[in-house]
Formats: sequence, C-alpha cells, structure tokens
Amino acid sequence: MREIYEISDRFIEAGDANGLLYEPLAGGLTYRRTRRYELDYEGDQASMEAFVKKTLLDEISQELHAGEDAALEGYSFALEYGMKPGALDLEKEAILSYYRGIPSPGFELKDLRIRQRIYLFGGKGDESGRFVRDLCNAAIHQWNVLPGHV
Amino acid sequence: MEDRPCALLLKFPGTNCDAETARALEAVGFVTEVLPVSALKPEKLVGVSLVVLSGGFSYGDYVMSGRIASLVTEQKIGETLKDFRDNGGYLLGICNGFQILTQLDLLPAGSLVENASGRFQCQWVKLKNLAPKSPFLSQCPAEFELPIAHAEGRLVTKEAAEAAGYVKSGAAALVYGDDVNGSFERIAGLQDESGRVFGLMPHPERFMKARDHYDPDWEGQGEGDWGSGYWIFKSLYQAIKEGEV
Repeated sequence: MREIYEISDRFIEAGDANGLLYEPLAGGLTYRRTRRYELDYEGDQASMEAFVKKTLLDEISQELHAGEDAALEGYSFALEYGMKPGALDLEKEAILSYYRGIPSPGFELKDLRIRQRIYLFGGKGDESGRFVRDLCNAAIHQWNVLPGHV
Repeated sequence: MEDRPCALLLKFPGTNCDAETARALEAVGFVTEVLPVSALKPEKLVGVSLVVLSGGFSYGDYVMSGRIASLVTEQKIGETLKDFRDNGGYLLGICNGFQILTQLDLLPAGSLVENASGRFQCQWVKLKNLAPKSPFLSQCPAEFELPIAHAEGRLVTKEAAEAAGYVKSGAAALVYGDDVNGSFERIAGLQDESGRVFGLMPHPERFMKARDHYDPDWEGQGEGDWGSGYWIFKSLYQAIKEGEV
C-alpha cells in the first residue's frame, strides 16, 4: 500500500523567491516550501499514520495533508525535487534508522521517498527553468515541475 | 572523593558546540563528561546533577531541528530524563539543545521554527532576564548580551495567547530586547514549572570572558573579567551546590 503526506508550515510566510536564485528575477515571485513523503508499507494503517505524526510532523507549527492533491493553492508553478534512487539520502536514512529501532511498529515500511516542494506565487508565468538550474543538481536529484493552480 | 557536581553533556551526530560547552562547565566547577548518544543508557545518569544538550545541527536538522535527536533519545532511555528532573536533576539546552528539549516535552509547549527573516542569523543580541530567581539566571543582571547563531530559533506556540501566558507565568525566563527572529513575545529562553529545566537559543558558552565581546573596551561583569555567559553557568553551579547542603 502507498500513502502520500505533504507537510506545510503554519507560521512561515511566503518569502522572496530571489533568495533561492543566484541572480534575481524581475516580477516579484514569492515561494513557500513543503515536504512530501511517499510511504510504501504493509500492515496496520493506523500504526503507520501514528508513526508519520510522531516522526515527521510537528503538530504545533505544521499541518499534514494526506493524498495526491497539492497542499497549497494559488501558485504559478511548483518545483518538486528529491534524491535520485540509489543516491544517499541522509534524511531518509535517519528516519529509517529510527523506524528500525522501534520494537513493534505494527507495520512494515517497504520504501520511503522524500521530496521538497517549492510553490512559486506571482510572476509572469512559468519561470521554472531558472529554479531548476539553481536548485537542482542533475548528478543527484530528480525533479518535476507542476503547472500552476490559480 | 570528588565533591564537584557532575555534568553529563550528550553529543549527537552533528552536535558541534560540545567542546566549548564542556570547557564552560569546567570553568565554573563542574566535572563534565561528554557522552555520545550511542553510549547513552539510563544508568549513565546515576550521580549526575546536570544534563546538558549543547548547540549544533543534530542529525543534520533532518525533518526539523531537534526532531531525530529527541526520537533517538526517547528510544534509548524512554522517560529517564523526566524521572531525572523529577528526582531533582537539572537540564540545560542551548540552541539545538533547546530545540531538542522542546521536542522531548520537557519544556512548555512550543516549537522553534525558521526565523522570520528566512535566513541563518549570527549576531549579538540584547536579552532581558525575566526570572532573576531562576537557578540558571540568579547571578545574571536584568539585561545582558549574548551571541546567537541559528536558522530555526523563532519560538512559536499553537495559539499566540499561549506565549503571552508564558511571559505572565514566568516560563519565559529570557526574552530578546529587540524583535530578532520573530519569536512570539520575543521569547529567547523557556523554563519548566520546576525551574530545573531551561532552554535558550543564545550561546552562553561563547561569551565566557570579556575578550569574547565584540567591543574590545567592554569591561567585564562582576568580579574578574567574565562575560555574561559565565554567570549562567555559575548561577547553575551555585544552585546545585546549595541544593547539596
């Protein structure tokens, strides 16, 4: 079975997207960042959800969105990127190491994929090329660009 | 027989302020052991008066700062730190250590999230001591300075009213003089109800001597040429020594 969770921050306002780039863009783009986790598992769904909430979510400062739909709306485009299969993902390894130390988790975690999502707001259309160039490294990253949802 | 109180300093992968924090503890009189978390067991706390979680980027700040360190600590020793506090032990968390203490539910509910600036901030800040009777702050003046160095130091609570309540109740022991990072109520440090658990974002271990100050003419505070950070560790040492009598 597969479940997808996206985690967004409650208190972090959209920031100036030029802070992500080597050279500024005209047009006043802003951005918000989320983390997206895809879990392949077998076993008890409630136990898996409890693990997600305890391990990946901060209930004070974050919100959990379950499912395929994007956590945020009104964006011009979004860039999603993560480590290539086979590349060392230290965040994934830290989470799996903690999972393996749980005596009776109640479910078996078969695979975990972690993606960062950067939602861009405003601007003059799809300017994703600059963000892909400056944020993604073809040697280690996989990425895709999501069309706008305005 | 050694009559100096013992401090245990936990070191996680990514902790990087352990050496200077251990030096600061030794300077005020503690015997200090730096313990890698891989060797942490409940029995390691026997005979210890103070557990310190120092600054750094434990586990690379993966998921969120302090999260994996708190989970691993809980996995290794369960509720031992809460029992340690309930039995009279003291806990101090500095910067990343503060983040870990909040994640372990050893401090009033709150989270340390990305600074309002969206950037890592490394600067000196003015602080106000709102808890002059705290064992951690009893020898500190009403206002003093310390350096900060963090990207995730903005203290938030689920509702803003909770943070205001911390100021009223005295849980907000230390606040910034200015709005440095967007922290609710400008909170820089929190203590628990017992007063024996304290976490702060600024780094007292980086201001032990007057020469550490950015102003070369700064004259020092109290006897000797000590910096403001020294008096936090000294306050704690004094409280523990007096408690032993």
